[in-house]
Amino acid sequence: MIRPLLAPLVLRPLGKDRLRFALTVSGIAVGVATMAAIHLANASVLSSFSDTVDFVAGKASITILADGPGIPEETLERLAWLRGIGATLAPAISVTAAAGSKDGEVVEVLGIDPLSDPSAREYSFAEDGKRGEKKNFLEGDEGKERAGASGHSGGPPARREETHTFEESSPGLFSVFARQSLLVTEAFASRHGLKAGDAFRLVTNSVERTFRVAAVLRLAGAARAAAGSIVFMDLAAAQEAFGKAGLLDRIDVVLPASLSGADRARVLEEVSASLPPGVTAGRPERRTETVDRLVRAFRVNLSALGAIALLVGMYFVYNTLSISVLRRRADIGVVRALGASRRAVFAAFLGEGLALGIAGSALGLLLGAGLAAGALKLVGGTATELYVPSAHPVMHLDPGVLGFAFALGVVTSVLSAFAPALEAAGVEPAATMRHGSVEAARRRRTRPLALAGVVLLVLAWAATRPGPVRGLPLFGFISVFLVVAGASLLAPAAVTLFAGRLDGVALRLFGVEARLARANLTGSLSRTSVAVAALTMGLSMMVAVAVMVGSFRTTVSTWVGQTLSADLYIGPASGRSGPSLGKIPEEAIDLLRAVPGVDEVDPYLSFSATRDGAPYTIGSWRFSFIARHVRLPIVDGRDPAAVFSEALANGDAMVSEPFSEKFHVHAGDTVDLPGAAGPVRVRVAGVYTDYSNDRGTVALDRGKFQALWPLKGADTLAVALKPDVSPEEGARRVEQALRGRYALRVRTNATLRRLVLQIFDRTFAVTYALEAVAIAVAVLGVFNTLTALVLERRREIGLLRVLGASAGRVRRAVRYEAAAIGGLGIAMGLASGAAMALVLVYVVNRQSFGWTIAMRWPWAFLAGALALVFATTLLAAARPAGLAAATDAAAALKEE
Amino acid sequence: MGARVAAETVSKSYLPGPGASPVDALLEVSLVLEPGTFTALLGPSGCGKSTLLNLLGALDRPTAGRVLVDGRDLATLGEDERDAYRRKTAATVFQFFNLLPTMNALENVALPLLLDGAAPGEADARAAALLGEVGLSGKERAYPYELSGGQMQRVAVARALANRPALLLADEPTGNLDSKTGTQVLDLVSALVAEKGITVVMATHSSHAAARASRVLHLLDGRLVP
Repeated sequence: MIRPLLAPLVLRPLGKDRLRFALTVSGIAVGVATMAAIHLANASVLSSFSDTVDFVAGKASITILADGPGIPEETLERLAWLRGIGATLAPAISVTAAAGSKDGEVVEVLGIDPLSDPSAREYSFAEDGKRGEKKNFLEGDEGKERAGASGHSGGPPARREETHTFEESSPGLFSVFARQSLLVTEAFASRHGLKAGDAFRLVTNSVERTFRVAAVLRLAGAARAAAGSIVFMDLAAAQEAFGKAGLLDRIDVVLPASLSGADRARVLEEVSASLPPGVTAGRPERRTETVDRLVRAFRVNLSALGAIALLVGMYFVYNTLSISVLRRRADIGVVRALGASRRAVFAAFLGEGLALGIAGSALGLLLGAGLAAGALKLVGGTATELYVPSAHPVMHLDPGVLGFAFALGVVTSVLSAFAPALEAAGVEPAATMRHGSVEAARRRRTRPLALAGVVLLVLAWAATRPGPVRGLPLFGFISVFLVVAGASLLAPAAVTLFAGRLDGVALRLFGVEARLARANLTGSLSRTSVAVAALTMGLSMMVAVAVMVGSFRTTVSTWVGQTLSADLYIGPASGRSGPSLGKIPEEAIDLLRAVPGVDEVDPYLSFSATRDGAPYTIGSWRFSFIARHVRLPIVDGRDPAAVFSEALANGDAMVSEPFSEKFHVHAGDTVDLPGAAGPVRVRVAGVYTDYSNDRGTVALDRGKFQALWPLKGADTLAVALKPDVSPEEGARRVEQALRGRYALRVRTNATLRRLVLQIFDRTFAVTYALEAVAIAVAVLGVFNTLTALVLERRREIGLLRVLGASAGRVRRAVRYEAAAIGGLGIAMGLASGAAMALVLVYVVNRQSFGWTIAMRWPWAFLAGALALVFATTLLAAARPAGLAAATDAAAALKEE
Repeated sequence: MGARVAAETVSKSYLPGPGASPVDALLEVSLVLEPGTFTALLGPSGCGKSTLLNLLGALDRPTAGRVLVDGRDLATLGEDERDAYRRKTAATVFQFFNLLPTMNALENVALPLLLDGAAPGEADARAAALLGEVGLSGKERAYPYELSGGQMQRVAVARALANRPALLLADEPTGNLDSKTGTQVLDLVSALVAEKGITVVMATHSSHAAARASRVLHLLDGRLVP
């Protein structure tokens, strides 16, 4: 029943109207591509990280991690009973270092026990890595082929033929017993031109050390972690080299295969019970979950932006199909008169939506895979910089993600086709209704639609009230979408109101062309209001994000100005990807104190802990330094110097605003901290604003901190210079003192401020790119609508020419119409964008990151951007206007 | 005052498609219409009536011959002059009314006035007066879809008269109306011609309608036949 209808109602009209078909398909494609790119990039970041976790965890069923600065080595003795049930314990420390120089590739260093480790992790030696072992390593061409085939990405290791037993691997692994010896991966060796026996430098904890390559590992087993950017060394040597004497970062427990599921659960419970405070046991993949939680807010924010692009794409489908239905009313009447059922007509138009969805989504996937590489740089770069320094994301075209994006495109297209298909099904067999009366029927819906719009806006307001759901601002996003939807439903009323009120004035100012434009605006309300709504959506997103980012930037800039008030900031080497690596040793701090011109040095020292499964930071400053030199704003407006002095005197903690928001801890409350000797309860003296991380920080005075945890050194140093020393001169002296001894980065106050804003801008670059996409799609929508309207009004335009309207006037009328659509879209976009900005700033951001942002309206930027959009809209009208002007009056009127 | 219209051995041929042979729509048609006369072009569908009206209305150019209106050869007019000719001199009424569906009756009638540069208030006032003349007072705000066929054609006549044309071209003006309404529209046209002295050329295939004209020209296969 449907098939005979497809050719006359769907396929041939689409074939005849290729331009509109192409535009609609590209509209969907842009939305799908954006979603696919964001999710592919995000999935690649997470899968790279989870691969690393899997490869490092190897065969372990339980991984013990420190919920604090480290696992005391004695823990191994507490767990000795595990050996009695046939389990193996593989202790390790992990450090992030820069390879070659302080700006080199970031590499994971895993300190392992060569005796126990082969039971937990798999190692396979490359040809030149063997050291007089038995026959067990693959040799010759076969070995090379295997090495080449093992690749960088893919699932966790399992291939038996590439792995080795304890006896096989241990001779190679034993080679790391030699002091300053490393096992490097093939990928790493080839990047740095290394072979066994070569000397090689690593920078961490501010110190450059030279190591020798003991052997090269094939990219199998643990060597595949961090995409091969991992090196292995002896545990004891690593503890000594990286200042972790007596501490471990992880213990992987391999249970015998014979243990049942219930037994394993029982063992996990018993292990947990035998652990000291601050140390936890769990499944190895829990670290991935933690990272997933960290990047979730970031991902959800990006996805929301991608969804807007898709929503604008939906409007394309709706627009195209409703125009199709309108233009084919007579044909629908004919096929209905010939006996086609309503259901068949409905299915035919839904089929058109499906076809457009499939074509657009397929194109979107191709485009998305291309975009994803770029998005990976943005998302991957930002996410790893902010959250996971060692993820080393590698592009991975996840079929699940591709399938999701494709399905999303198809489903949204079919949903958008629903209303036009219903309308088509409603056409009576004797379709004699005139165009005007169809539009008039649609105009009658203006008021109910506007009412629905107002209801949605009220609901949008109501959705700003509830708190976050599992740490995500779910209702905040719902509110944003309700604002978009509400504003869209108000579009027909806005067009009618605007056109009705401005007719007289516009006629006087711009002549009869203005009246023609006005008549077309209201006369084709169903089409023009959709174009206005699409533009409103695109622009409201732009306005909202611009206001949010602008406000955030101003807030951060002010905050940086208040808080970065020391003269110099010193951090350890950061490697190529930016995050700082390791700690600054105590001796370096002492050295700095003695530099002439240095007045005071404040070391910041921190480690990561978890609370209710969510990671946060425990950090320390000298509170006396903060009280004297830094105006770190207190959320409740109290004087920072007084609050920090009070905290110092009472041994209280300070918490950052994100910590306070996330864990509902306020001034006067207490927090439980995982002290090295057992849990410690500390009172919170105040909440300070902090935009440097959204994990949340509990800050203690350094004295109290070091009493609770046996930690030394610093992550970063703030240096106050004597009044007669300029920052540049101070930096020069400090660098001179450090030269050849410590790989530290010295920045003046001004340089660091600039850097903070640079990082900020890079982080938000992706949001601007997405905005541009949404606006491009919306402007394409204006082009699409105007072209369709011009084609549809050929007769009317022909008539105007008969009545003596010149080609120029016809062209101007189309341009005025574009101007009206653009102007209305801009006005509505500005209004709904402002509403969305309020939601983003006061609800979404606050609930996602726990930050309070002071609202700032970037008027100059908005004026410039909106003027650009207006000009682009006028430009988009050039071709439809040209088409209209070139209409052959006689031929147009002949088409009856 | 009506226009004097002359066609001198006018021919018009079309190329129906690429590579196809030309089709002759009009063949060496010559005629002279004196000012203030009401002429009917009578003939079956496809005989060339509308083609001749398009040539008289400067919507098209002849392949051969000349069309002269008050002595001016329409083929020599530039694009702007042709626009002005259609605005001021030659107005058209169509079989399917061709009102702009997005404008109400008053706006439809005011449109040619505004196109000709009239002030909005003045245009609206004259449009209202014209609607009154065609018996549609009170229907100024009605949209085309709210009007009957006869009413729409009366709005079209009022619009055609808006700029006081010298030549009224009517292409099957009663072809889409029932006989009673058709008669009313013809009465209206006849009365206006008599009153305003406009030259009227009406294409029709109805001998009944043609009977209202002062002169009937028969067209068959693109030629005038006696």
